[in-house]
Amino acid sequence: MLAGRRIAVATALLWAALVATGCGLGPGADVGAVRLTVTHEFGAVPVLEREAEAKESATVMRVLESEADITTRYGGGFVQSIEGTSGGERGGRSYDWFFFVDGVESSVGAAEYSLRGGERIWWDYRDWVATSHVPAVVGSFPAPMSDGYRGQRHPVALVCDGGGSACGLARARLEAAGVVLAKGLPEGAIRVLVGPWVRLRSDPAAALVEAGPAESGIYADFEPGAGGVRLHGLDPTAADARAFSPGTGLVAATRHFEAPPTWLVTGATPAAVRAAAASLSEAKLRDHYAVAVEGSKVTPLPIGAG
Amino acid sequence: MRSAFAYVPRPGPLQSASPAAAVAYLGSLLVVAFLCSSPLVLAAAAGALAMAGVLAGAGRAVRLALRIGLGLALLVAAVNSLVVDRGATVLARLGDWPLLGRVDVTLEALIAGLSIGLLAFATILAGAVYSACVDPDRVLRALRPIAGRSALTATLASRLFPVAVADGERLRDASRLRGPGAAPVSRAALARRLLAGSLDRAVDVAATLELRGYGLGAPRARQIRRPSRYDRRFYAVAATVLAAAVGAKLVGAGGFDAYPTVSIDLGAATLTLSTLVLLAGLAPLRRAPSRRRAGPGPPLAELRGPAAAPPLEASGV
Repeated sequence: MLAGRRIAVATALLWAALVATGCGLGPGADVGAVRLTVTHEFGAVPVLEREAEAKESATVMRVLESEADITTRYGGGFVQSIEGTSGGERGGRSYDWFFFVDGVESSVGAAEYSLRGGERIWWDYRDWVATSHVPAVVGSFPAPMSDGYRGQRHPVALVCDGGGSACGLARARLEAAGVVLAKGLPEGAIRVLVGPWVRLRSDPAAALVEAGPAESGIYADFEPGAGGVRLHGLDPTAADARAFSPGTGLVAATRHFEAPPTWLVTGATPAAVRAAAASLSEAKLRDHYAVAVEGSKVTPLPIGAG
Repeated sequence: MRSAFAYVPRPGPLQSASPAAAVAYLGSLLVVAFLCSSPLVLAAAAGALAMAGVLAGAGRAVRLALRIGLGLALLVAAVNSLVVDRGATVLARLGDWPLLGRVDVTLEALIAGLSIGLLAFATILAGAVYSACVDPDRVLRALRPIAGRSALTATLASRLFPVAVADGERLRDASRLRGPGAAPVSRAALARRLLAGSLDRAVDVAATLELRGYGLGAPRARQIRRPSRYDRRFYAVAATVLAAAVGAKLVGAGGFDAYPTVSIDLGAATLTLSTLVLLAGLAPLRRAPSRRRAGPGPPLAELRGPAAAPPLEASGV
């Protein structure tokens, strides 16, 4: 009798402790909406766009499973197909599904990525011949600058390095998108570098562009030519596909190791930097890895995807 | 007391069959369990193995295997549901744990764990039925032409291990019998004495083997053993079960995916395979002795034989 009472008390205490530490039955309460985007070919072919309510136990995988028809591999940790499109060889090139949350590549699998509400999840089916590692993209703008990433808010620092009037334009665009800019350069800040390429290229994160997509995840390069450097667009195999005019700017994002993302708003000339800064809007960047901007014309990078 | 898994000679078909036929039969059921991950096929294989064991008279071994296997299956399911938080259907949120991180118990992880546990359960059952129904000496004899030294080593090990266990028990008894005032004997001291005794015994065994000419490698008379009349039955059942499993695998039957949501193939091919595998458990069934139908048969007195006591009428009762 006494033993039974002790067990009942112990069970009640354990239950109370579990409830107090946020445990419970079922998937839990709603924590907010998340945006789910599914595309093919570096964002060129839209497949699915959904707004889903995330629960306390939501992960990237659970949200995807609830909104799309998927199959998995390796014990449910790896997405094999979405809406019938499977990873594998196609035309001698390797294709697979990759995902970004708030414009940042995840270091953990989709099943382990917990959501807190408000995230922008982007699944893209792409050729990974050139690289399987694209650390950051611009297609979820204003994320990660608006609300941070991986559940942590980061200050956002606008770094002008010879950007001139393009800096003011970039500041106005970012603030219009709801980004709160920090004063100075706080530690752990997401940096937005604005300036001509000859000035930015000395930055360790920006310098990754010259190492190619395998290092930077950016399918573009600046090559010396007559009258200075010129922006070149690369195709999905990292081959040179197009030389842009000197007035073409670049908006791209990358990461130097595990540091917060660095956005590049740059070009060969002041006009190119201004064009790039003017394109800092959700409408122009949405679902693109990076863009080349010439006047009001936006060319998604890599060239020829889709 | 004898272990429930120890071999007991019985007149059943499984015990009478040659070791190769018995191993082929039990092995085929286990191979099916490993080939098809569907819980339905796994349950059928486990059911068939349990049925085979009971029909072969190894009910005690089956019951013990059921206890061990079910416990293990539940343990695997519980551990899997704690360490794997994949799966779309969250049953419980257990918060953040040290080392494990966030723990969500999902229906899919639970079922995946049960499926792994069921496979372990079937393996334990197969081992139990094999151990209780297949004569280890006949297995070793069958292995001798293929790997003589290994067969001899295995035979010696299978004989000497129980002897070592009994030696250990005797040593413990002896130490207890010294009385309550005696200094306790440590486990290390017991183990040392046991090891020394085992080495002595090993030297004796080696000398005996040498005297019997095992070291000469002389050819021995070949033992010709007539195949059992049950061999064909077990080989046929094993071949049928294996062919059905491979066929089902080729047509994509018997599939099971736990993640992201549980999907168990319940198609006709899977159901047929499961039924066939379950029915294979009846193979050790003994045919009922046939009854004489023609005529009334010999009088009872004849059956009693000439040495029997006189009938009751003759004794005047």
